[in-house]
Amino acid sequence: MIVAQNISKNFGKIEALKSVSFEIGKGEIVGFLGKNGAGKTTLMRILTSYLPPASGKVLIAGQDIGKNSLRIRSKVGYLPENPPLYQNMTVREYLKFAARLKDIPARDTRACIDKVLDDCRLLYVQNRLIAHLSKGYKQRIGIAQAIIHEPEVLILDEPTSGLDPVQIQQVRKLIKDIEHKRTVLLSTHILSEIELIARRILIINRGELIKDRPLEGLLKDEGAATLEEVFLKLNPPQAQRIDD
Amino acid sequence: MSRGTKTLAIAQKELSAYFKSPIAYIILIVTITVFNIFFYMIIDQNREATLRDVFAVMEFMFVFLVPLLTMRVFAEEKASGTMEFLMTTPTSNTSIVLGKYLGSLLFFSLLLGLTVIYYFVIEYFGQPDRWPVATGFLGLWLEGGLFVAVGILTSSWTRSQVVAAITSYVILFMLYFSIIFIPYAPEAFVPVIRYIGTLPHAANFSVGLITLADAVYYVSGIALCLTLTRISVENRLWR
Repeated sequence: MIVAQNISKNFGKIEALKSVSFEIGKGEIVGFLGKNGAGKTTLMRILTSYLPPASGKVLIAGQDIGKNSLRIRSKVGYLPENPPLYQNMTVREYLKFAARLKDIPARDTRACIDKVLDDCRLLYVQNRLIAHLSKGYKQRIGIAQAIIHEPEVLILDEPTSGLDPVQIQQVRKLIKDIEHKRTVLLSTHILSEIELIARRILIINRGELIKDRPLEGLLKDEGAATLEEVFLKLNPPQAQRIDD
Repeated sequence: MSRGTKTLAIAQKELSAYFKSPIAYIILIVTITVFNIFFYMIIDQNREATLRDVFAVMEFMFVFLVPLLTMRVFAEEKASGTMEFLMTTPTSNTSIVLGKYLGSLLFFSLLLGLTVIYYFVIEYFGQPDRWPVATGFLGLWLEGGLFVAVGILTSSWTRSQVVAAITSYVILFMLYFSIIFIPYAPEAFVPVIRYIGTLPHAANFSVGLITLADAVYYVSGIALCLTLTRISVENRLWR
């Protein structure tokens, strides 16, 4: 479903991604780990065609995003690290705007909005201004706009940040519910979180993909009981420099 | 969903964004109040049933006003991260630019529309020549359309609304005041400077003259700014 071939990206002299390649099959939920600044967001922006890679190719559903960008974008749902919300709109207005831009036919718009409002537990606040809502609600509105057009591929950059434990559980359930139907790539800092959702783990460090394994295999290989142990082993705290 | 529908969706969102902030109301009230004062003073002093001098004052005021309207158009989206949302939806860059332009142009048109009442006032008190009034409004609308296009272009260059406004001012001042540089310019450049300046074009409209050269000036200026905006939006190094 998602094929990344030798993706490289540099910002000036900084190499954000160094020849990253992987394939993600249909219906897989893949966790994407890495320290801050490791290149996670850059890679996600490339997969969603927000940024072009310096070199390499991305195929989504068999199509090259460099060539068929618009068509592919309608198959991809994306939640950026900071939910991209218009503060002066109500939740419903915002989702209606998102629906219009995401090729949802006018006759289905209402049903689609009602469905995501319900799925993301936003019904009670649907007519409130986004600016007046808490961070948890904003995060869920961000998820709602990402899934409103029922995309085949869902790319979520830290979907659970800012949520309380109950909300985290709800988001986890939301993602679990769509397993097998959609392909999900998500990044998070909460490692226990990813253990519960993802079947496969990609770990990126300084722009290089250093691990791409199923979760169980990864724990076994590293002789670790939890993902946190693996992560700390691959990114030892004492080795971190100030500029990391 | 067609390209046109998305353009309209964005235009509608832009227009309603104006009215969701107090800035729109402040701009409308302050501008119309200032226009009304000038309208009264000009008519009182000239004692003529013509809007020619009123148009000249309005044109001058638009140089200051329009950047305030357009500075947020792209800069705000960039600063708040919603640009990332817009650009990852299946919406073409052309639709985004046209939608945003249309939204701002509609707001400007509304502002200009409110001044049509001046025609009815002079019609009530005198016998104005209607043609120059009509072409004068058309000229102002085209000029506003060009100013809005310049404002949107500068807003697409930065995430800072202040920088967008200041850059707009620099360009609009150069366009508006260009003819005062004519005495200092080499002979060969004089026709170019005269053509680039907005004043001679708007002056023709305000006396009832519609010439192809003036129409081409505004329309091509708008097209150029919107094309450059599209290039700027597409250039992902700036994001």
